[in-house]
Amino acid sequence: MNHFKKFIQQLKLMCVFLLLSIVTKAQEPTTVVDSSLLDRINTIEQEASFIKPEDSHLMIVGLLTFGYVSNKTTVTYNSASEVSKTSSLGDADHFEFSPMLLWRHGKKFLLEFEPSFSADGVGVNWAAVSYYATPGLILRGGYLVLPFGTYNKRLAAGWINKLASDPEGIPESTDFAVEAEGGFQAGTMKWSYDIAISNGMQLQPDGTTQFVGITDNNKNKTFTGRIGWLPFANSSLELGASYMTGKVGDVGNTTANLYALDLNLVENLSPFQINVKGQYSESKLDNADYINPINSSTYTFNNHTKTGYIMAAIRPMFSKNNIVKNFEVAARYGNYTTPANSLWGTKENSLALSLNYWLNWRTVVRYSYEGIKGTNTVSTDLGGNTGEVTKSNSMYVQFCIEL
Amino acid sequence: MKIFNNKKLTILSLLVLMIGSMILILDSCTASQKISMKSGAQLWSENCQRCHNTPSPSTFSHEQWETIGMHMQSRALLTDVEKNKIVEFLKQ
Repeated sequence: MNHFKKFIQQLKLMCVFLLLSIVTKAQEPTTVVDSSLLDRINTIEQEASFIKPEDSHLMIVGLLTFGYVSNKTTVTYNSASEVSKTSSLGDADHFEFSPMLLWRHGKKFLLEFEPSFSADGVGVNWAAVSYYATPGLILRGGYLVLPFGTYNKRLAAGWINKLASDPEGIPESTDFAVEAEGGFQAGTMKWSYDIAISNGMQLQPDGTTQFVGITDNNKNKTFTGRIGWLPFANSSLELGASYMTGKVGDVGNTTANLYALDLNLVENLSPFQINVKGQYSESKLDNADYINPINSSTYTFNNHTKTGYIMAAIRPMFSKNNIVKNFEVAARYGNYTTPANSLWGTKENSLALSLNYWLNWRTVVRYSYEGIKGTNTVSTDLGGNTGEVTKSNSMYVQFCIEL
Repeated sequence: MKIFNNKKLTILSLLVLMIGSMILILDSCTASQKISMKSGAQLWSENCQRCHNTPSPSTFSHEQWETIGMHMQSRALLTDVEKNKIVEFLKQ
């Protein structure tokens, strides 16, 4: 019996060891792994190492311009005057809400997309991809602002512009295009170049032009180029010259030639910062026949447009007073002359004044005035009131922010 | 005055002027020592204010400054050296 009891005890011990062995075994990691799972893990690891966190970055910035405008317009013709008054919240002609998406991939590619909601509705300011090829060479393709002058590309945003309105007659310059640009140092001077090939403009029935969109209206492309020169070592002065040329007719040989000169001077004369900016441009189109809307006869005119502005602003930016240093005073004179004897002939002079208060570096509140005097040069044969004078006086309160 | 009416002479003068300008530009295509010694802070101060007020480095994160640096390089046509120095300064 004793042997039997010993046997039973040994059997119990064996059972305990066996159970412990099974439990221990169950807790050991399995060596049998699904090979497809390993492949997937390897693939994910490779992708993770290829796309490092700092290589791809998406961010949204953007701007808002909002305000109030009150306008009084007096139209005088043959000694008779007519007065009209309007006022609008939203600063209707200059309201803009434009978020901008910047998507950087590595250090070579940047996608830029800026939709915009303004008085003209919802549109797109630009949508393009840039490739930073080598030092001094950036290649871009898409819907972009052409390098004609500097106002449209650099200065038009509400929080950058020193006044509430845009200068009269700045030529439109956004198109589907490819572009090459860059800047380089030359001794103590700097130079920049910017050239683009785009679909180009289309001649309208009244002799004006507008960019055609994604489908070109002819087989020719428009060339636009700008050379910038910064002669001083501190980059305080920039002078630029631009040229645009291309056929604008659906058929035929009507060509548009435009040139522009621009100036940008920023000087810090403590406690003031002085800003002077200006742009002058002319456009000349070949003569073409147009249809008179009054009697359907053909007519022609010298299709030559001139526009220019000069702006100056002064701000005691380096004042020790925290209130005073945020004030800025700006003034702009503009001139805009469209072809005489066309349906849109006018000769305008404008003067704008503004008192700005900067809440921070990218937020401004301004009180602006703008007076525009225009003289009608539309031929009486076209139904125009030649010599009619229009005086427009506007007062703006405007808020602009960039985020 | 006759000499100025000579078309060939005018074209030749323009060519000489263009070639001379190109030689001068190419000859001075490297940054002078004074320029290359400029700090990122100085370049930031000089270049941003050409169009708008200068932003504070604390406005954006390091990643954001990299992206904005590329955007602004194409807007202001900064040189690569300028862009890199300005971005490094803003990331400090």
